[in-house]
Amino acid sequence: MKESPEIAAEFSFEKEKVIAKSFSQRFQWEMILIGLGQAAIWLSLWPLVLNGLLDLWAGFLIASLCACFAYLPSHEAQHGNYSRGNPKLRWLDGLVGHITLVTLKFPYHILRITHMKHHAYTNDPEKDPDYANAHNTSVLQVIKNVLDGSTLQFDKYLEVFQNDKAFVNSFHQAIPIALLYKAAPLVLVVIFPFETLLLWWLPAKIGSVYTTVFFSYYPHLGTSAGRYQNTRFWSHWMPRFLNHSMQLHFIHHLHPSIGHYDEPKAIEALKPFLIARKVPGADQIPDKITLNPLIKI
Amino acid sequence: MLVEKFLNHISNWGKFWFGLIFLGSIFNEILEQFTMLSGSSFLWILAFGSGAMIGLVAKIRGAWL
Repeated sequence: MKESPEIAAEFSFEKEKVIAKSFSQRFQWEMILIGLGQAAIWLSLWPLVLNGLLDLWAGFLIASLCACFAYLPSHEAQHGNYSRGNPKLRWLDGLVGHITLVTLKFPYHILRITHMKHHAYTNDPEKDPDYANAHNTSVLQVIKNVLDGSTLQFDKYLEVFQNDKAFVNSFHQAIPIALLYKAAPLVLVVIFPFETLLLWWLPAKIGSVYTTVFFSYYPHLGTSAGRYQNTRFWSHWMPRFLNHSMQLHFIHHLHPSIGHYDEPKAIEALKPFLIARKVPGADQIPDKITLNPLIKI
Repeated sequence: MLVEKFLNHISNWGKFWFGLIFLGSIFNEILEQFTMLSGSSFLWILAFGSGAMIGLVAKIRGAWL
């Protein structure tokens, strides 16, 4: 990476990378537990509700919670953070990536390739698949678009990246699963109308809104292109454990191999680098990211 | 070729089918459970007809909301 002459040698990219790498080694067992756990809980809701052992409204609340926890374990898989470059463990990325997304009804392959493009072209209006979410006019508009399904412009990106063979192949690989996720609720709803609505369709919508607002909209709001400028540090009235600590999402864009639960420690260690690089909001990063220092009422 | 045609159909008419089958089934169940009209064939036509109509409007508009 070409260094700007304004950056002191002590904050060089090489030094930053060494520190980041020290936080990129740990096995992400928590994420595997959350991903497979929420999918197992969600699946168990069906027999429990259908056999009258659990009230449908309680099932709806639990399913919605599961849907809000569903994306992040897949996101770690998309970056290969379970296998960490070990070809023998690559199956684990696929397993967690696919299974955790059942709750959200999204095909893993499509999310993986579009997310890779989001990292490669963050905030590029033509090439960033998340651009429409991140640069929307308001939270309400983001919510409307997600509910509407109009943020999913997969066809558009298939055209944009038509010369990228890996992108096109992964896209086609995802079609059977995408069709299954379209067909399954249509079959189930005929047999179990309210259960399909309240255990799958509506929770998946709630989970998608939650994920898009906190993972896509807030972290990139008002940012521009460029490695150190495309994501920001922000604060919110909501305690960070309720929004998956997405106030810290900028460190993920800088070093995607850092595991989610290691990000706070990595940010503490990298804070001087982030300030030197003028990451938006970096001067407001607390010295210690403990429980909830990021609340802003 | 056949798969491509099927995918194109889903892409163009997905909203209509969703309205007819998904919304129709939900409306039908609501009318069955929460009205006095249970068992009437009129109910079935009303429920699935409304679902299909909403789906068709969404297809024409190109958006649900």
